[in-house]
Amino acid sequence: MNEWIIETKGLSKRYKGRYAVSNLNLKIAKGDIYGFLGPNGAGKTTTIRMLLGLIKPSNGSVHIFGKALNKERLSILRRVGSLVEYPSYYGHLSATDNLEAIRRIIEAPKARIAEVLSIVGLSKEARRPVKGFSLGMKQRLGIASALLGNPELLLLDEPTNGLDPSGILEIRELIKQMPKQHGITVLISSHLLSEVELTAGTVGIIRQGELVFQDTIANLHQQAQGSMSLVVSDPEQAHITLRQHGIEAVHRGNTLLLEQTSDHTVARIVRTLVERKHDIYRVEEKRKTLEELFLQIVGEGTQL
Amino acid sequence: MNGFLRIVASERLKLSKSYIWILLLISPLLSLVIGVFLSLESFGAANRLEEYALLASTMSSFHAMLFLPILTGILSAFVCRYEHAGGGWKQLLTLPVSRVSLYLAKFSVIAILLALTQLLFLVAVIAAAASHGITDGLPWRLLLTSIGSGWLACLPLAALQLFVSISWSSFAAPLVINVMLTIPNMLIVNSDKIGPYYPWAQPMLAMLSFSDQDFGAFALPLETLLITVTGSFTLFLVIGLLYFKRKEI
Repeated sequence: MNEWIIETKGLSKRYKGRYAVSNLNLKIAKGDIYGFLGPNGAGKTTTIRMLLGLIKPSNGSVHIFGKALNKERLSILRRVGSLVEYPSYYGHLSATDNLEAIRRIIEAPKARIAEVLSIVGLSKEARRPVKGFSLGMKQRLGIASALLGNPELLLLDEPTNGLDPSGILEIRELIKQMPKQHGITVLISSHLLSEVELTAGTVGIIRQGELVFQDTIANLHQQAQGSMSLVVSDPEQAHITLRQHGIEAVHRGNTLLLEQTSDHTVARIVRTLVERKHDIYRVEEKRKTLEELFLQIVGEGTQL
Repeated sequence: MNGFLRIVASERLKLSKSYIWILLLISPLLSLVIGVFLSLESFGAANRLEEYALLASTMSSFHAMLFLPILTGILSAFVCRYEHAGGGWKQLLTLPVSRVSLYLAKFSVIAILLALTQLLFLVAVIAAAASHGITDGLPWRLLLTSIGSGWLACLPLAALQLFVSISWSSFAAPLVINVMLTIPNMLIVNSDKIGPYYPWAQPMLAMLSFSDQDFGAFALPLETLLITVTGSFTLFLVIGLLYFKRKEI
């Protein structure tokens, strides 16, 4: 059974002996929103260009909709909408004509142009030449172009680049709707975790061309789980007491660090210690934010 | 084939909103002015037919020696310009079109625009002849063959310039080189050694090989010219296609 919409095996791209992308094994399920994360220059755009056949991989393979990209590129691209790196546009044409230039090639129905313009909120600007557009508006036009052919898969490379906060929110909502309303699978790349944290179901984190994390966002949250620190009057004794009750803690200075943070466990620990006449000065939860975890994952290995 | 036609339709939209058509008019208009003000009497032509031949060859010289090769370069750069400027290559190639049909569509657009300019030039010749009172007895077959082979002789140059314009994201650089290589035409057309192999000289050689002047490369028979044109066209087109197929976008 092969239900991956995108599956890459050992995907690599080498430029002059240096790997821009190396041994990438992406797996993206149908109807998922996949957040493709990594710092600038980590190989996100290179990967997306390989997924679209704009550049040829040095090694490895790409399968989209279960078909090999190098054999059935055109029939795959017919079902894919994309926005790569920065939006493409013809400055001397209006937004409508820009979409018409694409529509003539993909043979979408004419009415679809007005539809996608209203989806991205450009209906009022449709008649203006695109060269006068702000970066945010060009970005919206790029997203409109990607949606024009009613794709089953959307590849969006940093789609909220250059958008103002309300624009970012709008696009985020729009992307969230895709799988629910139309069953579209979305791959969205970003260098900010916060960008995809609220939309993505799965994240892949790429660092220096290598995939260092690929799992559901829920599991990433799991990893980001914090710890409890207890400051008590007699930490040494308290440590022994807890161990007798089968609770593992780490003793550091006058603090005890606990991995378990469920309400039930914390309550039990506090009750036990109070019953044994320990004074408890502080009970603190130390939560690692996803952002911290992301930075930690991304930062590993980059320090000299 | 279907993909090819769809791309041409899309190209037509992009060009229709530009000022490219002004460029198509320049050379026919200038040739018309030259033709109208040419004093045929001062050359002492024996009869009307000779007068006509003089008129046609003078107009063709101006048109084919400089303007036609330069226009070919401009058109090639023009069809690549939007794509380079706005990231269009990337967008076009993520659509379901093959690189070969995209390349051939771009080339066809250049060829069609060149054909239009040749037709306008034909109109200019007829109009100039009329202004001198030559209305009937025009050697139509000769005239049309000259226009047609001039167009054919532009195609190798168009293929070469398209290759250069695609590989070079600058708009001006291929143009400057094209103009620099067009100017020596004035000398090269007179050489029977280099002339037949110099792509920039082909349009003029082709258009004038029907006049009765015979010096330098003009003396070459049409067959030789057509062989060079076909050969270099195939060579440049194949090089361009192979390059574009491998290009990293």
